[in-house]
Amino acid sequence: MNQWWIDGPATPPPEEVAALDGELAIETHGLRKTYRSVRGRAVCVEGLDLEVPVGGVHGFLGPNGSGKTTTIRMLLGLVRPDRGTARIFGHEVPKRLPDVVGRVGAIVESPKFFPAFSARSNLRLLADAIGAPRGRVDAVLEEVGLAGRARDRYKGYSLGMKQRLAIAATLLKDPDLLIFDEPTNGLDPAGIREIRRTMRGLADRGRTVLVSSHILGEVEQIADTVSIVARGRLVASGRVADLIGAGGRGSVRVRVAPDDLIIATSLLETGGLTVRREHDALVVDGGPDPAALNRALGERGVWARELVPQQADLESVFLGLTQHEAPGGRTHAGGRRRGRRRGAQPAEPTPPETGATQEVAR
Amino acid sequence: MTRLLRVELRRLWLRRMTWAACVLALVAVGIGIATQVGTARPPTDAQIAEAERFYADELAWWEEHGEEEVASCEEAEAAEGDGADYGCEEMGPRLEHYLPPTSTFVPDAAELDGPSVAADVDGAVAPDPAVAAVQGSLWSGWSGLPSLVPVATGLLMLAFVVGVSFMTAEQGSGALGMWLTFEPRRRRVYWSKAVAAALGTVPVVLLGWAALVGGAYAVYARFGTLGDVTGPVWVQVAAFSGRLVLAGAAFAAIGVALGVLLRHAAAAVGVGAGVLWLSTVFAYSLGGLQRWTPALNFDAWLRDGATYEVVRTTMGEDGTYAEEWVTRVVAGWQGGLYLLALTVVLSLVALVVFRRRDVS
Repeated sequence: MNQWWIDGPATPPPEEVAALDGELAIETHGLRKTYRSVRGRAVCVEGLDLEVPVGGVHGFLGPNGSGKTTTIRMLLGLVRPDRGTARIFGHEVPKRLPDVVGRVGAIVESPKFFPAFSARSNLRLLADAIGAPRGRVDAVLEEVGLAGRARDRYKGYSLGMKQRLAIAATLLKDPDLLIFDEPTNGLDPAGIREIRRTMRGLADRGRTVLVSSHILGEVEQIADTVSIVARGRLVASGRVADLIGAGGRGSVRVRVAPDDLIIATSLLETGGLTVRREHDALVVDGGPDPAALNRALGERGVWARELVPQQADLESVFLGLTQHEAPGGRTHAGGRRRGRRRGAQPAEPTPPETGATQEVAR
Repeated sequence: MTRLLRVELRRLWLRRMTWAACVLALVAVGIGIATQVGTARPPTDAQIAEAERFYADELAWWEEHGEEEVASCEEAEAAEGDGADYGCEEMGPRLEHYLPPTSTFVPDAAELDGPSVAADVDGAVAPDPAVAAVQGSLWSGWSGLPSLVPVATGLLMLAFVVGVSFMTAEQGSGALGMWLTFEPRRRRVYWSKAVAAALGTVPVVLLGWAALVGGAYAVYARFGTLGDVTGPVWVQVAAFSGRLVLAGAAFAAIGVALGVLLRHAAAAVGVGAGVLWLSTVFAYSLGGLQRWTPALNFDAWLRDGATYEVVRTTMGEDGTYAEEWVTRVVAGWQGGLYLLALTVVLSLVALVVFRRRDVS
């Protein structure tokens, strides 16, 4: 099959490769968690292998109920895994969590503070618990823009203010790793942008940010790398650009004269392309190079009236992966080689989008 | 651990529930003192005059019919046989029977329960010095100082509720999850909370009790009915205060433990109060097992001994069965050990659960 028009995945800059190949902030192997209830046993996380490189923003993506929050809870020692191991900065958790907890700030789901206490009282209690200086409380309140409302009771705060207070709490420790679980839930657009900016800023200052979300647009804007989970398993991980490029590849919408539609379709299909007809236009899938398409048509005397590249986004990659994910399926992208571990299943057949993603895992 | 304890103590006193408990303690103390006014006040001149009038009427009637009444009583007493004592010699009217009851801050011997009529010693019914000692102690009466003990028990219940609330509020609000991301060592976290609740409620209980005793003393002093307030009485008050403080700390720690185990404040308070209520209401139906009920043992610890009664069934010489009430003793040390064991066991179980439970 002739594929001369398909762009390959972009090669990551050397510094990014170095970062990805370096120390891991978070590492889990075969993590499993089940919940028992009167209705039976529900597997929430099933053999999760997760790797989060040091530095940058790492999106932890998955549909609702895919095990993101449970995984974060296991990392923080709030929930006991049934099986598997987890490490933060090389320290096994929850066993050695006390050794590393000072480097980790986390907000799990919605912020939870003592409702009747003021923001300052809440933070002072936390600061005193870890021996942070009192001055640090006012500094972090100032940093998140809550200094003017520090005396107000927490229960009177808006959702956005609560989120900002939670971020302030995580900053009390001056952590190297920040874990945000669905940080923009319930926020208005301004609040979402603010949180996004904060997370990006933290990463730009050298911290590692793990953000779990099912809102892909926001993650796509700030994340350097992502891991996608579905039904408790990792289905893909790597750089956002690689996943989008390799996973979606995009398509090109081609408009030609109505009389040329049939011949144009024939020409392109002969070249090995997948062509769909949409009303009076053709949609060429598989991430073709628009210039190459134009040249190929022009050489046969068919002139394109319109060529519109349609880029894949993280959402399409995510949906492709999570809707078709089968147990054991796993895809990696990016410069880092992830060895398949004992017991891991070979990747299952994947849909067209993920098939492309698999190609870059080498 | 010390740092965590300090933080938890500060949190305890930042809580409105703790301050509400202080207000409730003040209300209970106020009511406790107010009830003393009625018993501490000596009869007024009008009451005395009225009593003397009724007494004179009764005395006149007695002088006319007294001999006849006594003879009838003695006849019935003789018919009963077996050394029956109907108290026929005491039948005559007395002035104090017509005066309103008056008590003193320190009850005199006449106001305390008399020695046990029958007690079980080695299977035989005989006077029991232990029962007599408990029933004759300062804290076994029902007026003056010993009448303050139920209010002290109320202070213990407040300590329990503060302990329950201290734990369940944190669990209910989800703040515990945030807390554990700062201090993941759950054993330390649990003990810091339990010890903070225990230590933090000590001032509430102690100051409440001090205010109660002080207020009651002032009331009796105002009416000049203090009674025989000697050094040994204050020693006993101090010893009681010590036992009360320890009980308060234990109740708060038990509250924390039940809060962890049951998660909901209403459930924990309901279970605690329910167990005490049931063990009081159905005490008699438990027979000899009463000595292991929480309410009786807590009371024994506070009062340095408590008594309970069981029905004893015996067969007479004529082959008929007879039932009689027998008084038995639960020693103060048993009550203390019981409270200690309950606190330790519940705390350890709660600690195990707290360490293993997933935090949502």
